[in-house]
Amino acid sequence: MDKINLKSTLKLILYILVVTYVVDKVIYFSLNMLSDKILSGQAVGKLNHFITVKDSVDIVTFGNSRTNHHINPQKLSGSGFNMGADARSIAFCATLIKLLPENKEQLVIVNVDSKNVFDPKYSGIDISPLRIRYHRSKVIKREIDRVFSFDPIQNFYWSKGYNGKVLGLFKNYFVPKYDHTTYYGYDPIYVNETQREIFRNFLKNPKRVECKEEYVLSDLYKSYLDEIKAFCTKNNKKLVLITAPFYDDVCKKDNQKMKQVFEEMQFEYYDFSDVFKENNKIEYWKDDVHLSDEGAQLFSEILNKTLVKK
Amino acid sequence: MLFNSLEFLLFFPTVFILYWILKNHKQQNIVLLISSYIFYAWWDWRFLSLILFSSFVDYVSGLKIEASNTQTGKKRWLIISLCSNLGLLAIFKYYNFFANSFADLMGTVGWQVNDLTLNIILPVGISFYTFQTLSYTIDIYRGQFKPTKDVISFLTYISFFPQLVAGPIERASNLLPQIERKRTFKKQWFNEGVFQILVGLFRKIVIADNLGTYVDAVYFNPEIHNSSTLVLATFFYAFQIYYDFSGYSDIAIGTAKLLGFKFHQNFNLPYFSKSITEFWRKWHMSLSFWLRDYLYISLGGNRKGIKITYRNLMLTMLLGGLWHGSSWNFVIWGGIHGLALSCEKFIFSFKKNKDFGFLGYIYTFIVVLLSWVFFRAPDLGTSATIIKKILSFDFLMPFIGDFNNVAISVLMLLLGIGFDFYIRLKKVHLEDLGGQLSTVKLVTFATAIIMLLNLFYSTSNNFIYFQF
Repeated sequence: MDKINLKSTLKLILYILVVTYVVDKVIYFSLNMLSDKILSGQAVGKLNHFITVKDSVDIVTFGNSRTNHHINPQKLSGSGFNMGADARSIAFCATLIKLLPENKEQLVIVNVDSKNVFDPKYSGIDISPLRIRYHRSKVIKREIDRVFSFDPIQNFYWSKGYNGKVLGLFKNYFVPKYDHTTYYGYDPIYVNETQREIFRNFLKNPKRVECKEEYVLSDLYKSYLDEIKAFCTKNNKKLVLITAPFYDDVCKKDNQKMKQVFEEMQFEYYDFSDVFKENNKIEYWKDDVHLSDEGAQLFSEILNKTLVKK
Repeated sequence: MLFNSLEFLLFFPTVFILYWILKNHKQQNIVLLISSYIFYAWWDWRFLSLILFSSFVDYVSGLKIEASNTQTGKKRWLIISLCSNLGLLAIFKYYNFFANSFADLMGTVGWQVNDLTLNIILPVGISFYTFQTLSYTIDIYRGQFKPTKDVISFLTYISFFPQLVAGPIERASNLLPQIERKRTFKKQWFNEGVFQILVGLFRKIVIADNLGTYVDAVYFNPEIHNSSTLVLATFFYAFQIYYDFSGYSDIAIGTAKLLGFKFHQNFNLPYFSKSITEFWRKWHMSLSFWLRDYLYISLGGNRKGIKITYRNLMLTMLLGGLWHGSSWNFVIWGGIHGLALSCEKFIFSFKKNKDFGFLGYIYTFIVVLLSWVFFRAPDLGTSATIIKKILSFDFLMPFIGDFNNVAISVLMLLLGIGFDFYIRLKKVHLEDLGGQLSTVKLVTFATAIIMLLNLFYSTSNNFIYFQF
C-alpha cells in the first residue's frame, strides 16, 4: 500500500468514525430527551415511572409477570409501586433495588420462583432491558458489565442501548398506552370467556410436571440475594421475599428447599404457592401461573394482611 | 467465526493490516492461508482436516490430470477427485438421510430395519468448498484451466476465508490467478468493499434477522395459524432468505475486495425477474452457473433433444435442491423449480419474447413463494399442513405477535426493497456503487447504515446458508 492510498484510506476511516460518533451522540441525547417524557409502556415508560417515584413510595415490589399481574399496590397499606415485568429475574430486580434512595425507610418485596432460584444455568441475562440506561447510571453500567462481556460497540455507539425500542418510544410519546398518573405498576388480567374455556380444557389435561429430587441454589442468584440484603440492611429498608400463588403447585421439595435456604440466609420469606388451595376458584386464574384481576385483588389483600399489618 | 460477530471485528482489521504491510504477494498468501484456517477453526478445528484432505487430493489430481498423456489416465485422476470429494459429502451430509429413507422404505413393506444412522456433525461450508474444489479438477480435465504448482496458492484458493463457509463458489479460473499475482491496494476497491460490507450487514442483521423472528414464530406451530398468517410468514421468509444470503455474499465480496480480490456477483435483484429462468440467472449465481456448467452440460444440456433437455433440467434442479440439504423438502423445492424451468422452456420454444411481460413478475414470485414453503418447513408433513391451510382461504386478520418486531421488520423491509429499486433504476451494481460515491456521500451512507444497525439490529442468528 503506498503512502497516498494509506493516507486517503485512513482519512476515510477517520471521517466515518468521527461522523458516526457525533451523529450517534446526537441521536442518543435526543432519544434520552424523548424517552424521559414517556411514562407509559412496558419497555421504557415503566422504568422511567419507577425512577420518578422510587424516592417517594413506601413499598416497592419486584419480580416477573407473576409480580406484575398479582400485586395491586393500592391494596397495600402505604404508597406503593409494582415494578414487576415479564421475564425479569433477580439480576434486573437487584439492580433496581440498588437504585432506591439511601436511608429511606421502605418495604421491598421480591417475588422469587423456584424455577429461577434453582436454575443452574442462570446467567443474569434478564438485566438486558436496562441497557437503555447503560450510560446514564453507574449502578446499571456496573451491573450490566458484570453480566455481559465488554461490548466495545455499546461503549462507542451509545444509541445501541435503544436498539429495538425506537418505534415503541415514538408510539408511546404520541399515543401513551395508559394514563400514568393513575398507574401503580399493576397490570390486571381480565379474562374473557374464550381464555377461560382454554384454561378449563387445559385443566382437563394438564401438562406433566417433573419434580426434581434435589435443588441447588444458583451461585449467581445467591450473590444477588446477598447484595440486596446488604443494601437493604444498610439503607433502612425491610426486605421480604415471597412466592406468589400457583393454581396447583405439584412439586413441594423446591418449596421446602427455598424455605430452608432463605432461613439460613436470614431472609423474611413467605410462601404463598398454595394460598388458594383450600378455596380455589377458576375465576381467580387466567392460567395455571397467572392470577386474574379477581384473584390478584384477593391475593394483594392477603399479602397486605401478612406483611404490612404484621 | 461469524461476519457479524465481535471476534470478526477484531480478526479482520488485524489480518487487513498485517496483509497490506507485506509487500510480497507470496507472503500475503501465507497470511491469508493462516488466517483462513483460524477463521474456520474458530468453529471446529477438527474439521480443518477435511479441508486439508480435499485440498491435497485435488492439488495432486490437478497436476496428475495435466501430466497424464492418455485420456484414461486423466479420467482416472478425475474419478479419484470426484469420489474423494463427493464421498466426503455423501458421508457427512447425506449418509443419515439415505439411511433414514432406506429404513422408512423398508418399513412400508413391513421390514423393520435397525437404526443405521451415525452421530455425525455436518461440517460448516463442506458443500461450498467441495463444489469449488471440484470445479478446479473438472476444468483441468476439460482442458480449460492449467493446474497450479504453488501449493500455498492452491490451499489459499480452497480456504480463502471470505467465501469459505457460504460462498460465493468462486471458480479457480477467476480466483486462483488473482492469488498467484501481486495485488495492489486500490482506493476505489476499498470504498466499494466498505460500502458493500455495510449494506450486507444491514441486509443480514437488520432486515433478515428481524423478519426471521416472525417467520420462526409462525413456522414453529403452523397448525394454529390462518391462511393470511401463513402467507405473510412465507412472504417474509422469501425476503428473509434473500437478504440473509445476499447480505452474507455482500460481506464476503466486500471483504475480499478490501484484500484486493474481485469476486463475481452472487445476487442481482432476483425478485425482479419475469420468469424462473431469469430468476436463476440472478439468484445465487455462483451456484446456478456451477450447476449449469458442471452438471446440466455434463448431462448433455440441450444438445440431445428436447426430452433429454427436460430430463436434464429436472435432474439438475433436483440435485441442486439436494445440495442445499439432506431432506426430501429440498428435493421438492428443486423439483418445483425444475418443473417451472421445463414448462418455460416448452412455452418459450413457441414465443418470440422469452418472458411473460409484467405478469411474469407476479408468476415468478408466486412460484418462488410456493417453493419457499418446502424450503423453510422442517419436514414434508409440515409443508403439507401449511399448503393445506393456505388453500383453506381463511384470510382473516393475520397473527401479529410482537407488534414492535413486526413494525420494525416491515419498515426495514421497505427500506431494503426501496434500496433495491434505487439500484435497479440507477442501473448500477451494488458491487460498484461505493466506488462511484464521493467521500461525503460515502460517509453519509455509512453513517446512516451504522445508525440503522445500532437502532434496529436483531439478535443475530447464524446465516441460513451456513447449514448447507
